[in-house]
Amino acid sequence: MSNAPRPLPLDGVRVLDLGQFIAMPFCALWLAWLGAEVIVVESRRRLTSRTGPPFAPSLEGNPDASGYFNQICSAKKSCTLDMTTAAGRDIVRRLAGKVDVMVDNFSTGVLEKLGLGHDVVGKLNPGLIMVSCGAFGRSGPMKNARGLHSAVNLFSGVADVTGYLDGEPRILGGVLPDPLSGTYGMFAIMAALHHRERTGQGQFIDLAMYEAMMTLIPEAVIDLTLNDADPKRAGNRDKLKAPHGIYPCRGPDTWVAISVDGDNDWRALCRASGRTEWLGDPRFADAEGRLTHVGVLDAAVEQWTRGVSVGEAVDTLQAAGVAAGPIVRCDQLLDDPQLQAHGSVVTIDHPTAGPHRQLGLPWQMDSLGVEYRRAPLLGEHTHDILTGLLGIDEAEYARLETAGVLS
Amino acid sequence: MNIAPQISATGPLAGLSVVELGDGTAGPYAAKLLGDFGAEVVKIEGPEGDSTRRRGPFPGGRPDPEASGLFLYLNINKRGVVLDINREDGRDALDRLLAPADIFITNLPMARLQAAGVAPAALRARYPRLIVTTITPFGLKGPWAGRRGDELVTYAMGGIAYSTPGMPDAANDLEREPPLHPACFAAETITGLCAGLATLTAVLGRAKTQDGCYLDVSQQAAVASMQHRDVTSHSYLGGTFNRLLNPTTIGRMPNFYLPCKDGYVTIPAPMDVHWERLVEAMGNPAWALTPEFSTSPARTANWIELRMRLINWTMTLSGDELYGLANQTQLPIFQFYPVRKLVGSEQVQARNSVVDVEIGNRRAKMPGAPFAMRASPWTLRRPAPRLGEHNAAILGERAAVLS
Repeated sequence: MSNAPRPLPLDGVRVLDLGQFIAMPFCALWLAWLGAEVIVVESRRRLTSRTGPPFAPSLEGNPDASGYFNQICSAKKSCTLDMTTAAGRDIVRRLAGKVDVMVDNFSTGVLEKLGLGHDVVGKLNPGLIMVSCGAFGRSGPMKNARGLHSAVNLFSGVADVTGYLDGEPRILGGVLPDPLSGTYGMFAIMAALHHRERTGQGQFIDLAMYEAMMTLIPEAVIDLTLNDADPKRAGNRDKLKAPHGIYPCRGPDTWVAISVDGDNDWRALCRASGRTEWLGDPRFADAEGRLTHVGVLDAAVEQWTRGVSVGEAVDTLQAAGVAAGPIVRCDQLLDDPQLQAHGSVVTIDHPTAGPHRQLGLPWQMDSLGVEYRRAPLLGEHTHDILTGLLGIDEAEYARLETAGVLS
Repeated sequence: MNIAPQISATGPLAGLSVVELGDGTAGPYAAKLLGDFGAEVVKIEGPEGDSTRRRGPFPGGRPDPEASGLFLYLNINKRGVVLDINREDGRDALDRLLAPADIFITNLPMARLQAAGVAPAALRARYPRLIVTTITPFGLKGPWAGRRGDELVTYAMGGIAYSTPGMPDAANDLEREPPLHPACFAAETITGLCAGLATLTAVLGRAKTQDGCYLDVSQQAAVASMQHRDVTSHSYLGGTFNRLLNPTTIGRMPNFYLPCKDGYVTIPAPMDVHWERLVEAMGNPAWALTPEFSTSPARTANWIELRMRLINWTMTLSGDELYGLANQTQLPIFQFYPVRKLVGSEQVQARNSVVDVEIGNRRAKMPGAPFAMRASPWTLRRPAPRLGEHNAAILGERAAVLS
């Protein structure tokens, strides 16, 4: 491979990012890394994205030291505009006329009230691809309902398949509905760019976070509608594989995931763990038996895992060809040697906050490039964007600034 | 909705041709997404068929490789051929499929690809314009590159199992509530989506470079990439996370997930203004006005007692009644929907979030489009292929008997 920089796949694509919280800012984040020019609109009057913790050490409250902003807006440009002013809204409309893609996840109806809905911007720019994301989407009787990630988990059916044996439905960790919706948003944008290449036609994309989450549970939806069968919660067990679980190891709150797929795996586990007596146990001889006696089986496996460290359990089983891995906490991901080796852990320096690590794209490319550049300072690109992209002259710019439109 | 009349629709990816050598969920889901939006997908199965054919759900629970619900869902909009890539004629046929294709997607183990002569480097050399997307548990480089991983293991190594149950739910007992994986192919679906996305970005890139691309997708990294928020917290603040229900993980109180008369609800009222509205909605009970609960620090200090008091209240009301209070209080209270209630909900009906699918002569529902594209919608153009259904049509009579 030569040292010449590899072309960025989305070079030349311009995106207007009106995203809030995580879902749509995350959508625009990967686009920026892949070469799109992403313009974030923010305002000093309502600095939602730069005001919450975490901040870089000893820079509490400094909007350029916000971990949340600096990581989810890396490689983007910052344009400060007060959208509560008519002139500010007019500038956003003009920006919408100059971009290929616009993303938003305000509450349903907010953009329309500002005169920035697709009914307006889609007419100004027929080639515009707009992804509009809500917890329940932009249509249907619940379109105005409020929904945090927990509500999306609870509505989407995912909670119905998450829980301990015969226990209550539980809520997934992290805020999966947000980045998952953002990723579907990116896919939609790629598909829409293809469509536009052939037809010149832009379009509106209505993205519901709960529908993104429903893609995780086709089996449950089908079993219910085909067989009238409600999901049964059974911890980490699987309906075809056993043992299949997360077992405690020596040392507090340390765990190993083990997934045995077939009788060969099972025999390999018995030998590797030194529990050869299980080999002769007729209850465990085939998958059907192991599933029938899964309670006894899980207890037996746990008895072994409790006596070894996570590393020993994993190395022993992997050496025998059995799928096993440590339970990795989110605060351990950046130090995970495999994620590092794959190239997923990236370090981005920032003039105010200093260097920080984050997770980059989950794939590597051989002929195309990716650029992990720093997040913008607050308002860093306002002047460039207004005078360059929009062609506003200096006198007008000064007037807008004095009028507080650019704050 | 009827499947047949929609064949005419094409979709935004019409004109792209995809060869999928997939098994399970991740590879097939990546190809399904491309096919659902209009790409021409040819799915290659070995003589034994995709393992998902043996998973179900089956009508009445009776196993039938042509009536597995998950298989029919994941492989809709594809044509299918059976090839034995361990045999020379199978490899020849695979080459004939790849030569005119835009995209090759696989999630088979690298050793099997190498044995069949379709490892990424060989394919890139043979077909310079081909986009080659491999999905492996951990990616091609690094200490885990040759190790085994599946749905559970990659999910566990991607951070999210440890943090489940998650906010505002949490574990009461770390020992008795292990890290939790949902009973679905979450890691594989996330990875399939990432692989489909990566593939499409490379198609756009190819328009610039006139060169194909190899995409090395790691299932572990795909799951981990979804932990953006928690990774940021650690990157900027450091510290160790755990799953225990307490003010450190949950923040200001109350912000709970609680049982109610007929289900479960979230009761988030973390700020004073929220709390005041909640107290009013509860009918201003005397306990809520005492110094133990009247200030935010007091509520956090007495959170266990607060939680019990709130449970006593929520247990007197139904989920619908409590959710009704969301409008009255402007609090983001929400209730648990079982899949049954979800599928029957007006929201799902109005948006066609589930669509009809025929499974072994029976009607069922499956998740529909993951998002609604107004100008170039998701379409159902053909049902999933029967095993080897298109061998003759695609490869000619000779190949019809390859399996």
